[in-house]
Amino acid sequence: MKLNLTRFFTVRKVLSLLLICAIAYSTYSIYYKVKYWGFSLSPKAVTDVWTVDAKISFRALGGDVKVSLAVPNDRDGFKILSEEIVAKGYKITQDKINSRVVLEGKDKTGKQNLYYRLSIYDDAQNVALNSLLPAKINRPILSEEETIQMRKIWELSELQKGDKIQKAILAINQEVNNPTMSLILPLDHTAKEFAEKVIQVLAYKRIPARIARTIKLEEGRKTEKPDIMLEAYYDGHWTLYDLNTAKIGLPKNWVIIQRGGVSLLDVKGGEDSTVVFSVLKSVASPLKMAEHRAKAHDELWSYNYSMYTLPVFEQNTLKWLMIFPLAILVVVIMRNVVGVSTMGTFTPMLLAMALVRTGFWPGLICFSVMIALGLVMRALVAKLNLLLVPRISFVVIFVILLIQVLTVVGYRLNYTIVSSAIFFPIIITAWIIERASITWEEEGAVNTLKEILFTFITAVVTYFVISNEYVRHVMFAFNELNLVILFVVMLLGTYTGYRVTELMRFAPLIHKEN
Amino acid sequence: MFEWIFNGKKLRENGVLGMNDRNYSVIAKYNKRSLYTLVDDKVKTKRLANSININTPKMIGIIEFQYQVKNLLDIVKGYDTFVIKPAHGSGGKGVLVIKKYDAEHFYSASGDVLSFKDVYQHVSNTLSGLFSLGGKYDVALIEEAVNFSDVFKNFSYHGVPDVRVIVYKGFPAMVMMRLATKESGGRANLHQGAVGVGLDVSTGLPLNAVMHNKPIFEHPDTKANLMDLRVPFWREHLIIGSLAYDMTGLGYLGADIVLDENRGPMMLEVNARPGLAIQIANGKGLKTRLQEIDEKYPLGLSAEERVDFVLNQGK
Repeated sequence: MKLNLTRFFTVRKVLSLLLICAIAYSTYSIYYKVKYWGFSLSPKAVTDVWTVDAKISFRALGGDVKVSLAVPNDRDGFKILSEEIVAKGYKITQDKINSRVVLEGKDKTGKQNLYYRLSIYDDAQNVALNSLLPAKINRPILSEEETIQMRKIWELSELQKGDKIQKAILAINQEVNNPTMSLILPLDHTAKEFAEKVIQVLAYKRIPARIARTIKLEEGRKTEKPDIMLEAYYDGHWTLYDLNTAKIGLPKNWVIIQRGGVSLLDVKGGEDSTVVFSVLKSVASPLKMAEHRAKAHDELWSYNYSMYTLPVFEQNTLKWLMIFPLAILVVVIMRNVVGVSTMGTFTPMLLAMALVRTGFWPGLICFSVMIALGLVMRALVAKLNLLLVPRISFVVIFVILLIQVLTVVGYRLNYTIVSSAIFFPIIITAWIIERASITWEEEGAVNTLKEILFTFITAVVTYFVISNEYVRHVMFAFNELNLVILFVVMLLGTYTGYRVTELMRFAPLIHKEN
Repeated sequence: MFEWIFNGKKLRENGVLGMNDRNYSVIAKYNKRSLYTLVDDKVKTKRLANSININTPKMIGIIEFQYQVKNLLDIVKGYDTFVIKPAHGSGGKGVLVIKKYDAEHFYSASGDVLSFKDVYQHVSNTLSGLFSLGGKYDVALIEEAVNFSDVFKNFSYHGVPDVRVIVYKGFPAMVMMRLATKESGGRANLHQGAVGVGLDVSTGLPLNAVMHNKPIFEHPDTKANLMDLRVPFWREHLIIGSLAYDMTGLGYLGADIVLDENRGPMMLEVNARPGLAIQIANGKGLKTRLQEIDEKYPLGLSAEERVDFVLNQGK
């Protein structure tokens, strides 16, 4: 029985199972982060952030002033990044229930300019329509003449295409200049009056409807007035209609800033009031928006325990750390699967890390020069027959002084190649020099150069993996992948196949048999 | 040019043991970590070997501390030749063979003339860990030099030819002889250019010879035909290897054995992680051999019985 169990739970099987679990978990976690936090697989992905500025201008009449502006509300599904009100000398009240900002000022005279700024992000045009049920509406009380017109419009609407509401909108549009229609709608009607008429026509059939004020998100756009569209509650849900074309839905890059028939701006104690909207587009990285998105999705709890809430310094350190496991994986593959021998297990990894900071060619050239100088110096010192620890200490101090000189000279002469010396790990550099010189004495130049070359090749491969912008982004944004790497590395610990270099090394054993 | 990339399948069919497989399926399984200290420390190995009557070069003394280094001449008093070895060395690193000496001049086996100061320095380096694994402080072991038998004179350039026996579960599994060349600088390390001659484990006859992984037939320096190589005291060689298993408990080991003119085969050192080049020297995969031992060889035999079992396989 015991034997069967051990056969069933071989190390490899258990590790494979854990790896599958890690992959499953990572997949879910990536999906979760993309969906709820808006993370992107690409480091270049940006989120559009639209800043909508409302400038309220009016002339105060010399007494108390009360300004009330309709504003978007979280409840309507707006993804609001920030809200800002600039109104010096005014008392600001946010009326969340009615979605209005109320500004009150005392003894104001002359021209007044007040600002309301709103930043919205993410599919702003795709705002979920308010799912609240409309209040039950009554048929409007109409005169006999108006009733006839209503009926006529609904009759005419049968000739149009689309759903019931689209038909009505198109019919009203067509008949707007018809003398019979002019009775209900003046010829020089405003968009708002037109919308109110449509609402009235729909109300005749007991279809609830309301005005939606929208603006187009367009870089640098200034509009005096938001465009008016119509939302109607039909078939159990709210639908948005264009009042001219009767098209359903919000066109791309438009945003609803306010709903309902109430006035956009009320000014008491002032005259000639206007509100001008202007739109500005900016971009932000998805990582920065994650908190807002998590909040919008009610998933803040998980976000709060992620590393993305840490201060920037800690985050940058972790971002650097999160790339290590991948670098380690590269080293493991190079050593156990490819089969190159390097000086020190993780020396190539540390070298690659230094190359990331110095840049590839400057770092490689500078490092080669340092090693070469160190080897020359070490060869000279070899004649002194110093004891081991003092001798290595000499190399370490020599490397420190070399770094200092190169950095200062490089800085003065403005050669980045030279000054990149400062980024190389001192002890690692010293050990490479020491080991290379011992290998040189004992096994000859060829073996030494081979070992240095393999160390460099491994470092370069590691460098290209970890310096890739995508890789670094993915390993930071989706750090659960490190769990996958963990189990891959452990599984590689059970890899008993041939190393690539062994295929060549043992080649004589093939020709022998055949 | 790159057809070797597809060698994997054929190597597997030929039972070639790869480095990963060796580490994972053999060493990790049969060599307990705690046993490594028995073979990593040559003083310990020597004492252990002597306790079960395995021949080793006689120990003259140990230098453990720096202040003892100056007493070197007193220690070797009465010996014509001696060898200084780091107790934790590997691959022949730091081994200094003195063939002849007086108070000031030391003649090494590789032909150098050293002053006492040079030898003093060498011992100091040894103590400070220059030649030991991981650079740890070490002990210098001073032992009698081996009187190499003349039988291999034509097969080796300077240095010492030795027999490497791979012992698996106490059974000699594969054997090769390593011959120094001019290129290897008198050392018997294959990767430095020494010649490896694979010997049939049950007959002791040469199978195949390689240098730098390529088949050769004569010694590059002495021009001797390598297929003429004969190892006397073959059974005794194998018994030393087999006893190394009893002595250490290592399921997979490599015993390095040299032939002394007067005292016969002597064990120089035991390696707990012997390399895989022996397969190339033999022209055979080691894995096949290990499987054969796993499946067909009997348990519970003494060292001599195991060797005789192996020798009988050739008949």
